[in-house]
Amino acid sequence: MDTQLLISGVIFGLSIGSVFFLLAIGLSLCFGLMRIISLDQLLYYAIGAYITYALFRSTGSVWIGVLGGMVISGLVAFGVERFIFLRIYERDITFTMIASFGILIAGVGAIKYVWGLAPLPVPSPIGAMATILGTEIPVYRLVVIVISILVYVGIWAFLNKTITGKAIRAGIEDIEHVEGLGINVYKLFTTTFIIAGVLSGLAGGLHAPLIMVDPQMGLEVLPFVFMVVIIGGLGSIKGTLVSAFIVGQVISLGAIIYGPLAQMAPFAIMLLILLIKPTGLYGSKLLKR
Amino acid sequence: MVNIFRWSWGLLLAFFCLFLVRVFLPLPFANEILIFAIYTIGCNFLLGRVGFISFGQPAYLAVGAYGTAFYLFYFGSNPFVGILIGVLSGVAIALLVGPFFVRLRSDYFALVNLALAVIMFYLFEKILAKITHGDNGLWFLTNMTSTPIIDLGNPSDFFIFTFLLAFGVWALYKYLDDSIFGACCLATKTNEDKLKFLGYSNFNIRWLAFVIANTTTAMAGSLYAVYFGFVSPEITAPSRAADPVIVTLLGGVGTLYGPIVGAFAYTGMKDLISGYIANWELFIGLLLVFIMLAGEKGIWGTLEPILKKLIFKKKNSTN
Repeated sequence: MDTQLLISGVIFGLSIGSVFFLLAIGLSLCFGLMRIISLDQLLYYAIGAYITYALFRSTGSVWIGVLGGMVISGLVAFGVERFIFLRIYERDITFTMIASFGILIAGVGAIKYVWGLAPLPVPSPIGAMATILGTEIPVYRLVVIVISILVYVGIWAFLNKTITGKAIRAGIEDIEHVEGLGINVYKLFTTTFIIAGVLSGLAGGLHAPLIMVDPQMGLEVLPFVFMVVIIGGLGSIKGTLVSAFIVGQVISLGAIIYGPLAQMAPFAIMLLILLIKPTGLYGSKLLKR
Repeated sequence: MVNIFRWSWGLLLAFFCLFLVRVFLPLPFANEILIFAIYTIGCNFLLGRVGFISFGQPAYLAVGAYGTAFYLFYFGSNPFVGILIGVLSGVAIALLVGPFFVRLRSDYFALVNLALAVIMFYLFEKILAKITHGDNGLWFLTNMTSTPIIDLGNPSDFFIFTFLLAFGVWALYKYLDDSIFGACCLATKTNEDKLKFLGYSNFNIRWLAFVIANTTTAMAGSLYAVYFGFVSPEITAPSRAADPVIVTLLGGVGTLYGPIVGAFAYTGMKDLISGYIANWELFIGLLLVFIMLAGEKGIWGTLEPILKKLIFKKKNSTN
């Protein structure tokens, strides 16, 4: 394995990991605060990608498409939260998992109905190449990585510096005390859910130029995103970031070593980590059923 | 053992109704319902009795199917032996992964199972491609020899065999439901600490339940393999991972006859809807959400109390 291949592999892994991170952060927040497993984040990811495609076709700019995707994903997430999740927050966790899977499947059906079955291409908004240590690397992948790190910093600042963010963090620790302090937790839930939806939409929009946009894309990344969340530990933002980059590296470097390994190796690693530490890398013991 | 006989009437009645399906509806449909019902009851048992939701049932289905397929494609020709091998391979994989999986909480369990299904998919599609022929699958319909009395190559004989097998499976699950083991399973779901206090091992009970459920699933897989005479990695595709969970919910979680009703409704709807619109996921998804919002009882879970009321009323009036 020569250096050039290795460097491009690492960058590829980092950019894949960034997308996974943006997706997983929503799932992680939803689990931490509301104790729901929100599989429908994968739907907002697909919606983000499709809106990016649609707006790119009409305006010619991918960046407008990504912005539009974020907005529409957030709106759809808001609607779903209002009409469905608000009624089932109190129920068991497996219950929300199944309901959200239903939403995901229905959404995939709707996407197939609107845009058809065929995969659609979205061109890369930045065609330039950068040279790192003699290796040519698409700048767009670097931009994706930078955006995801900015999002991490933003989320960190939001959770640590604003009142709403602090309330969310307190809610992850103990939701009943937060309610007891007179904070409207359902407002917090809605806020968190919309943030999660917007980030998923952003992930979809950023991922669209790297792959083809197709209706099953949500279901395809679903196992990987879950793996990221599990390895990192449900409810932990830092763990999600670390495990997203681990998974991204395993996928891309695994592919360099032996093709079929790319899809399987992450799962093997997840099994290993779960066997050693069933709560994930950064999962706290508080999050017991 | 007495408990089997107390409920045998209900069991006989249910399978009489199932036999009527064979009389009034086309054969492939009846076969598909039977296999699907066997496929689902494992998931139903795990979800309703043990409290484990499993998105990974296709993994065990595929193991059973490929166990049968390898035997029929490479080694022998007797489909009965093939089914036996499929079931045994199901037992083996469940015994192997069980100790690791049943330690986990329900939500992690679901995801780890899903991961196993994905691993199986790539295992059969890519890594073992030399033996499994990748996406092309294994075709062995012509390899199967016809056996005396019940010829599995013949769909109507296959129905009889599957019917008897399904009857056996339901009798087993009925027995389990009434036995102490069934009660223990329910206890691990509701209050594991208390069960531990009573001197039972949560781990052993869960492991045994896991093995039983997944053996049934593997059996459904080997039945699929023999019925179609063909196996491809598509059987464990991640997009189909939720099928058994959907059918379980549709029929009614934790009820004995839920899987039959659910399989009937699901297969029927699939055939009906796919005739009208191509993308029937939309409908299934909305149905799933609707079931969850309506109170997660499913069809049979809603019907059962009503039927019981009717029957008891009749009994009282005759007395």
